[in-house]
Amino acid sequence: MTETRLRLSIVGVVIVAVFAAMFARLWYLQIAAGSQYVAAAASNSYRTVPEPPLRGRVLDAKGRVLADDRIANVVTVDRRISEDERDLVVGRLAELLAVPAATLRERLADQRVSPYQPVPVALDAPIEALTYVTEHAEDFPGVKAQPMAVRRYPNGTVAAHVIGYTGEINAEELEGAPASERYALGDDIGKSGVEQTYERVLRGRPGRYEYEVDAAGRVLRTAKRVRAIPGRDVQLTIDLDIQRVAEQALAEGLASARLQRDIVDKAKFTTLRASAGSAVVIDTTDGSVVALASNPTFDPNAFTNGIPTAIWRALNDPANHYPLLNRVVSGQYAPGSTFKLISGLAGLRAGLVTANSTIDDQGKYKISDQVFTNDGAEVNGRISLQRAMTVSSDVYFYTIGGSLWPKQRRGEAGGDIIQETARLYGFGRATGIDLPNEAGGRVPDAQWKQRIHDARPDAFPYPDWLPGDNVQLAVGQGDMLATPLQLAMAFQAFVADGRLATPRLVSRILDADGRVVRTVPAVDAGRVPVPARDTLLAGFAGVVGAEGGTAKGAFASYPQQPPAVGGKTGTAQVAGKQNTSLFVGFTPLQNPRYVVAVVAEEAGYGAETAAPIARAIFEALNGLPVAPVTAIPPAGGN
Amino acid sequence: MAGLTNVLGERRSRLDTSPLRHLDLVLVGSVLAINVLGLVMIYSATRNGLVGDTGATYYLQRQVIFVVLGVGIMAGAILIDYHRMREWAPAIYGVTILMLALVITPLGSSTLGSQARFAVGPIAIQPSEFAKFSIILILAAYCAVHRGDLGGRHLVTVLAIVAPSLGLVMLQPDLGTALVIGVVVLAILAVAGAKGRHLAVLALIGITGAVVAVNLGVLKPYQVDRLTAFLDQNGDQQRTTYNLEQSKTAIGNGGVTGQGLFKGSQTSLGHVPEQHTDFIFTAVGEELGFVGAGLLLVLFGIVVWRSWRTAVLSNDFFGTLLCVGVVAMLAFQIFENVGMTMGIMPITGIPLPFMSYGGSSALVSFACVGLVANVSMRRFS
Repeated sequence: MTETRLRLSIVGVVIVAVFAAMFARLWYLQIAAGSQYVAAAASNSYRTVPEPPLRGRVLDAKGRVLADDRIANVVTVDRRISEDERDLVVGRLAELLAVPAATLRERLADQRVSPYQPVPVALDAPIEALTYVTEHAEDFPGVKAQPMAVRRYPNGTVAAHVIGYTGEINAEELEGAPASERYALGDDIGKSGVEQTYERVLRGRPGRYEYEVDAAGRVLRTAKRVRAIPGRDVQLTIDLDIQRVAEQALAEGLASARLQRDIVDKAKFTTLRASAGSAVVIDTTDGSVVALASNPTFDPNAFTNGIPTAIWRALNDPANHYPLLNRVVSGQYAPGSTFKLISGLAGLRAGLVTANSTIDDQGKYKISDQVFTNDGAEVNGRISLQRAMTVSSDVYFYTIGGSLWPKQRRGEAGGDIIQETARLYGFGRATGIDLPNEAGGRVPDAQWKQRIHDARPDAFPYPDWLPGDNVQLAVGQGDMLATPLQLAMAFQAFVADGRLATPRLVSRILDADGRVVRTVPAVDAGRVPVPARDTLLAGFAGVVGAEGGTAKGAFASYPQQPPAVGGKTGTAQVAGKQNTSLFVGFTPLQNPRYVVAVVAEEAGYGAETAAPIARAIFEALNGLPVAPVTAIPPAGGN
Repeated sequence: MAGLTNVLGERRSRLDTSPLRHLDLVLVGSVLAINVLGLVMIYSATRNGLVGDTGATYYLQRQVIFVVLGVGIMAGAILIDYHRMREWAPAIYGVTILMLALVITPLGSSTLGSQARFAVGPIAIQPSEFAKFSIILILAAYCAVHRGDLGGRHLVTVLAIVAPSLGLVMLQPDLGTALVIGVVVLAILAVAGAKGRHLAVLALIGITGAVVAVNLGVLKPYQVDRLTAFLDQNGDQQRTTYNLEQSKTAIGNGGVTGQGLFKGSQTSLGHVPEQHTDFIFTAVGEELGFVGAGLLLVLFGIVVWRSWRTAVLSNDFFGTLLCVGVVAMLAFQIFENVGMTMGIMPITGIPLPFMSYGGSSALVSFACVGLVANVSMRRFS
């Protein structure tokens, strides 16, 4: 019996040990490590489903819709389905939607869409197809048919560079966005234009549903709903009518220029490439942007719910000259003779010239063994500032530039008055327009030249500011760079009698009911000196209307003669490329209301391509019939 | 009045002579308490209809029937003198083996990859559960006779008795029940006086057998995965550790006092698979916390303690061995089941006695406790 008692005791000890182990483990799980499991359980039982807000509209100055959201029937496919399921789904969808299987495969393979987000494979699918997919869910694993808000740009390519486009947020944007904005993978975000800069206004606030779910993901109840707040409408200063004319004139002008001979290339017959161009119209009263066109262009509708790979490639192919680039704010060009506004003002401010003084233009200007000539070595004789502007005498402005050089070399005050005037008029820094990727241009000076030499001595062997640099700068050549918008804003400041403005693209923010939430005021950016304004204005008027004016030919067909337009042509030489054709002008002559700047790349003389394009825009601005744009073969003068 | 007095008097006089006056009320009371808790927790785990979309009280209703039947069986197991059962043991065991053989024929039906039950209308009968009871009975009977002489021939006989049922259970395959049977056999042999080295060899054979079963593909792959999940709890084999993760999360979510009855998110949202059967302990852990789960373990401890005490106090060796078998069965099932939900034992399909949903398990557990109460109250006669 004691033997049995002993054996039973051993069994008892084992049992006690086993119960002790269970208690210890229970204590560990529930008390020692409990909080960790509590957190795990909490995250287990709720799913948050975001509710995207309806995005605000983009309107033109007269309230016409440039961008809005519409509800489309969309078929999406979850990419996490297996290979087998994918084959099955692609086959069935191809038949149902009458879309080639290859197209569906391509959409499913699109690397630019987040793998966790359903890929839209068909927009505006017929309602029968949607119903079929919904009712035969088991035959279409991962496929969903649902109404979705889709961004729409009813005017197609019109104002594409102003409006921009939206697309799925990428990792970089997601990281950069403040947490309070609550972006999630799969959300749309403005990618360029106003869609990007006014993202916060347009987007609204996303709402969310918090569902309590079971282990199978079935929704048991809605625990919480935060309503989405629709985005606000953004009203632009753009006038759709003028915008259309500007774009068409630009396209016509460039197309026409491509048929013109590049007369600079004397060796062989070459046509102008006229690969790209841009035009911008500014309202001088408040700096509002009335039209902004860049060519080549694109259709932002292509980006809605995933842009097809082929189109995306085409838009980024250098051979197509980067249609997504907004050349008005991102293009940087030597301004050529349009810069004579600045060198003229600088000459006046420095006292080198006056409204009545003259310079003898014998076609050449010589400084320390270097000879600079007018285009075609034309001789203008003794000319005033006004006439120098009208006929675009280089020698006149070479003389101003050259005369400033000794002072500049000695580092005396006033030696860099051209640069100083340029900066006063807004060159060398971004204008601050509400558009992304604005370039600042460049106003070269002695310090800049030293700096780039120090940085890269091999590429820039001359550290010193040479006389030629000053002479070139005076005619907008050399290292001077400006954006078309900077040129327009400089002329705006000049014609507005020195009132500098910041370009204004958005006039008002409206709520969903059309009430004005905010009015965007014009920004007064200060005042700049405008010596001898009338003389210069007369000179610019002569460019268009006077005998010998460089743009007289371009405006010969203008319905009003003489045209109530003044301006300045520019022909900028670019190393390795054909000339840049520029024209900056204004209308009317008394108290000008609008400034127009046109820049056409590799499009010959200013009078040849840019001026005719501007001419059409001026016609539209003055309510005159708009004649088609054809390039004007150069008759000399730059 | 007189009649009533007479009735009461008669009843007292009958109780005075019946062994029922020595009924272990602590044991029976604890078992009933555990069952009540079990019913509440089964309701909690299934009331959202997530297990089979069958209505809130479907499982509760069925389990109430099982418990009532179980109490009846327990009453029977208490009232019939266990010495008489000793005579029936070979017949009961024979029927058990027959049923185990039939269940792996097409007569049986297959669920979750193992062929373990007969579908009789809406009720599924699992012969392997009943095998536990009949093996306890037959081994106790045999070993009581050959007390202290369990080397050589008699040991081989014991193994020969167990082998057919154990083999048939393994063929289903039902590794969990096979393990329970193995532990019961070892415990009865140990107390009956088998030599230590023989027991060690048997244990080794058992472990080897289990390992071989796992490696030779006797078990379905999912069974192997479940079994080994606890060895690699941070592993990323989602499907296999999922069960364990959800189970531990539920228990951990309970904390000291629990989320409150019917308020556990893991439980009410059905995150723990098989929660109303093998993982019922997680519902207790989550909703009643350390206090409730601890109390349940204490109740189990009382049941095991009373059974062990009965083994010690029994006035014959057959009674002692019966109780040892029951103690081994209950203690191992409790430890294995509760241990697996907490990640300290491999996941095998062993129900928690008196708690898990399921008829066969409930009936057999009640019958076993009935045996113990039977032995306990007849120790004075």
